[in-house]
Amino acid sequence: MDSASSSLAYVSREGSPTEEEDDGALLVAAGLAKEAALLFQAGKFVDCLTILNHLLEKKADDSKVHHNIAIAQSFHEGCSDPRRLIEALENVKKQSEKLALASGGDLEVSKNNGNKHTVSIRGSNMSAHQFSSSSVRYSDEFDTAVTMFNLAVIWFHLHEYAKSFSYLETLYQNIEPIGEGTALRICLLLLDVALLSHHASRSADVISYMEKVFCVNSLTNQVDSGTSTEQQTLLVSNSSSFISNSTTNFDSVVSTTTNPSESCLTRSLSEEALEDEPLQLLSSFDISRHNLQRPSIASSNDLPSLSVADLRLKLHLYKVRFFILTRNLKAAKREVKMAMNIDHPMALYLKSQLEYARGNHRKAIKLLMASSSNCMETGVGISSMYYNNLGCVYYRLGKYHTSGVFFTKALKSSSLVRKEKPPKLVTFSQDKSLLITYNCGAYSLACGKPFHAARCFQMASLIFYNQPLLWLRIAECCLMALEKGLINSISSASDIIRVNVIGKGKWRQLALRYGRDNVGKDNLFSSDGKQPHLSMSLAWQCLVNALYLLDSLETDYSKSEESESRETVLSNHKNGDPKEISNVVSGSSQVTSNGEMKEQKGGNNQSGWLQNTIPDYECIRMKEKQMIKQAALADLAYVELELGNPLKALSTAKSLTKLPECSRVYTFLGTMYAAEALCLLNQTKEAAEHLMMYVSGGNNVDLPYSQEDCEKWSIEKVVDGEESNGVVSGKCVFSSPEEGRGTFCANYAANFALMGELDKAHYFVMKALSDMPNSSQAIVTAIYVDLKRGNTQDALAKLKHHTATRILPTLKLS
Amino acid sequence: MLGFEDSGKLLRLLSGGEERSIEEIVFDFNSKFPPSLHFYACSALDFLTANSKEELLNPTQRLIAFAIIHQAYASQQPSSNPFITKLVDAACDDEAEKYERAFVLQLLGSSNMMNNREFLKQSAADYMKHFDLSSHSFPQREHVQQQYCGKVQPEPFKCSFKENSVKNIIPDPDVPHGCNSNSHEFDAQPGVTSKLGSGNRDETVAGLLSSLSLEGLGPQWIRPFPPRLPVMDGELLWLNPDMNHELLWDYGMCADTSRGAAVRDLIAKALKGPLVPVQQEQVLVELANDPKLVYHCGLTPKKLPDLVENNPMIAVEVLIKLVNSPEISEYFTVLVNMEMSLHSMEVVNRLTTTIELPTEFLHTYISNCISACQGIKDRYMQNRLVRLVCVFLQSLIRNKIINVHDIFIEVQAFCIEFSRIREAAGLFRLLKTLE
Repeated sequence: MDSASSSLAYVSREGSPTEEEDDGALLVAAGLAKEAALLFQAGKFVDCLTILNHLLEKKADDSKVHHNIAIAQSFHEGCSDPRRLIEALENVKKQSEKLALASGGDLEVSKNNGNKHTVSIRGSNMSAHQFSSSSVRYSDEFDTAVTMFNLAVIWFHLHEYAKSFSYLETLYQNIEPIGEGTALRICLLLLDVALLSHHASRSADVISYMEKVFCVNSLTNQVDSGTSTEQQTLLVSNSSSFISNSTTNFDSVVSTTTNPSESCLTRSLSEEALEDEPLQLLSSFDISRHNLQRPSIASSNDLPSLSVADLRLKLHLYKVRFFILTRNLKAAKREVKMAMNIDHPMALYLKSQLEYARGNHRKAIKLLMASSSNCMETGVGISSMYYNNLGCVYYRLGKYHTSGVFFTKALKSSSLVRKEKPPKLVTFSQDKSLLITYNCGAYSLACGKPFHAARCFQMASLIFYNQPLLWLRIAECCLMALEKGLINSISSASDIIRVNVIGKGKWRQLALRYGRDNVGKDNLFSSDGKQPHLSMSLAWQCLVNALYLLDSLETDYSKSEESESRETVLSNHKNGDPKEISNVVSGSSQVTSNGEMKEQKGGNNQSGWLQNTIPDYECIRMKEKQMIKQAALADLAYVELELGNPLKALSTAKSLTKLPECSRVYTFLGTMYAAEALCLLNQTKEAAEHLMMYVSGGNNVDLPYSQEDCEKWSIEKVVDGEESNGVVSGKCVFSSPEEGRGTFCANYAANFALMGELDKAHYFVMKALSDMPNSSQAIVTAIYVDLKRGNTQDALAKLKHHTATRILPTLKLS
Repeated sequence: MLGFEDSGKLLRLLSGGEERSIEEIVFDFNSKFPPSLHFYACSALDFLTANSKEELLNPTQRLIAFAIIHQAYASQQPSSNPFITKLVDAACDDEAEKYERAFVLQLLGSSNMMNNREFLKQSAADYMKHFDLSSHSFPQREHVQQQYCGKVQPEPFKCSFKENSVKNIIPDPDVPHGCNSNSHEFDAQPGVTSKLGSGNRDETVAGLLSSLSLEGLGPQWIRPFPPRLPVMDGELLWLNPDMNHELLWDYGMCADTSRGAAVRDLIAKALKGPLVPVQQEQVLVELANDPKLVYHCGLTPKKLPDLVENNPMIAVEVLIKLVNSPEISEYFTVLVNMEMSLHSMEVVNRLTTTIELPTEFLHTYISNCISACQGIKDRYMQNRLVRLVCVFLQSLIRNKIINVHDIFIEVQAFCIEFSRIREAAGLFRLLKTLE
């Protein structure tokens, strides 16, 4: 507070004549700023801008003026170009940081002891009273909190949650000194962003932090507004009086000790005093609670007010979202009950979402219908959500076509949102078309339309590019196109065996042709510019992306775990995560009275609930990641085989089977792919060793997996399939365990055939045929084995009686 | 593969063996089939001549087929002819006709000596007609192999699937049950109505030429299709109406940044000496009015001890307000390490009743208190401090701020050590009741 802090400004201003002028100019600027703020609040942006430009003439370097000009302009013009606004704000931020750096040492002093601004007040004694009604913050003039918040807002509206999150995270890490109004906005936005980007633990942190800081009211939360200040002074005087009481009590302890005869009294005295305190505190709490019904948390001229009661209800909604996200449906249900009386369209939607998540699809539809009668008129944005959500429900009901109709409708009304004039920032976030497009992709994939699905997913990749699942889905589109014969394949698998009959009579010969006839097919699809170009190499790229993202997620996860464990150590408070601070605070309830304690305890339990939910959720997430990884690795091994890279296929298949929680079905697939790759590399013996795991007791073949193993994976429960005709459903789940065994036997036989052990080959291929009599590949192997063994007649009989055989007309010499 | 047209051409070439000279036919082959088709044509011929018993081709046709196979690659060393092993086999096949073996041997021999091509100038039929067994000798297989195969070429990598494949053609004679399909009675006779089971050989040969697959038929490996991952929970995007988030105006613009200066001044004073009640109250009021002021009042952890000593009540208020601050632990550390005094104890005591202090902090603080009592030399001051500590501990225990059992032994020892002091005895009794 003394010489150390006397900045140059201090010295220069003191007493000199220019100094007074400066003061005058400052006062004028402050006046203009106030006026601009009022005009801004009134929505008179043109006038506001005029004043701001006037202000700019006086303070050309003031980054806050630049900031507010950018904001006012965007409100004035309608935010048609958010990217430009982002650029402008980034510049403001850079400028502030540069200025802060330039004033370096100066600033540091002020940061440490806050002395820098002492100068200008001297003289105005009123300031002490004024500040309660003004919303001025103490932060430096270079403080960029609001700028960063606004950047986060814009990215949020553009659905760029990761970018938004990074700004908010920085703010949240040091949120305490930020003004309450802004801090509250930061928390609310962070909560939205964290929930939307599935960041459960951060969501839980923010919720409990908000409950502690914004909902549990102490004296400190009292802000401005004339009436409340009166109350406050009253309270404060109350508290200060008991403070002095207690002080004397302690002193009396000490003083009485000098007087041994009375010392016994001191005990009771001091204890009473100590015990009384909570009571007094309590009474002050009561008053403050009473008070808080009216005044808002945010200072009134800073931001639109939000009462504590409102905030509580909002937090209920957020908690419902949190619990739905973390699949804690019981807790969500409980929370929904408390949140139901909120008059917000979100409440009904959330309730519907909850029923959807619980599998009560009819109920979900009913709730959506109810909400639509309430809020249809509130805008096209809502109607697109309504249709989209119906689409989700019908998809889960297995009625893919109906869901497709709804998704299309949703897209249509979403495109109407985009056309709304004038464009506002909020229209960007209301335009959910990319999200709906993803759902469309899922529906198209379920309906067996790989090209349409791929187009949808590729569009949705604009916002989901960092989701491994998206890339897996595009790869699945490629695989589906391959499966349907829509794209070229070098593999020979096909459903039919073509037989050309050559010649007649004794000269008759049969020419077998097995494999795809691809002539002309590639022109059919690649020529159409609208179709995405699906290929195995695209599938390969997508799968590599997916696996890369999965791995980076894993390392992220372990990192965050590390940091969390670090944070739990209390001595490390320094790291400044407000989360643990909440832990520290939570005990404050103990001192308060019974009623208060209960409430508080409830609150604490709930934040405990929030935190307890997270490990379960992380567990679910890990399992899901495992599932995605298995699927991606299996697909990749398949694709490598398709691309003719048996070595890579082998290593991929091996890493699939080595996954710690690889399901039996995927172990089976991995083994099949690995063995095939080994055969392609002429390592038939090694292949046989791989395959051996399914053979027991010489020639007995076990089922490679059970029906249960299959069912574990088919989350997709089709409830009733009245409308599901035409849906390719057989191929999207696993083949039956018997088919799996058949596949194994056929491959085992093929492997024996390659090793020249024709008798064993014959034995196993016959076993394969008993499990899957219609398999064309098994019958070809069987025919091959017969031919190799010289049993032409058996081969002919098999060929002629098999369902996959297609006899083609005799070729005639031209 | 050869198309229909090329198959026809090839067949016509084969059938010309009766009249035209072999040389002419080979020349025709070279002119009608571009080199790119040679391999396909030869492998088709290779297939057709594979079995000498099969009689797919008649003898003259076979000779021409061999000639073409050989001459197609005549410009190169015999060992680089892809069908050289086949030719050697044909030359050494004991079951084959002698003239055929001799012919193939002559073919093989012709590539060494250019002058030895006379035999190609006649037609295949003539060759057979004028064939004289006595003028030919048939060397051992090993000998022929050594002579013509030369160094064994390193085999290129060949996948076992392909290596082990069989021909994709299966003979399926369509003759009445019980008849021998090799019998000549089923050969179609020109001008005679065909009877059941008869067939035209040429038709078959043409068909075979066009249907033969180079790859043949191998064992089939089933590559199970990877299943589509079912739609995950929450993968379909459910949409909820958003909370609105608007851009914020920065009210800090040109703001009166001087606010709170009074408090800063007072805090600075408070570090040096006790404030008068009016001043103290002013600080408390202003801090209470503005929850964020505490972050700007100029206090740092380093300055805390001065504040505690001079104005404990202000220190308490400030710390309570800083409880959510990231710096609070630093403040606690300073507090626990500062010299033990009435005021510091008072501050801690008051903090315990308002905010939850980290247990570790409390334990350390209590230990420090106890050791401070033991360390004081001045008996009067010691008594004073002990009494104070006792009252403090009783308050903590009664308010259940600490768990007695965590510090039981330490505190008990302390009570016993200072049992002469009444408060210590009282604390001891309290401990006993809780035991």
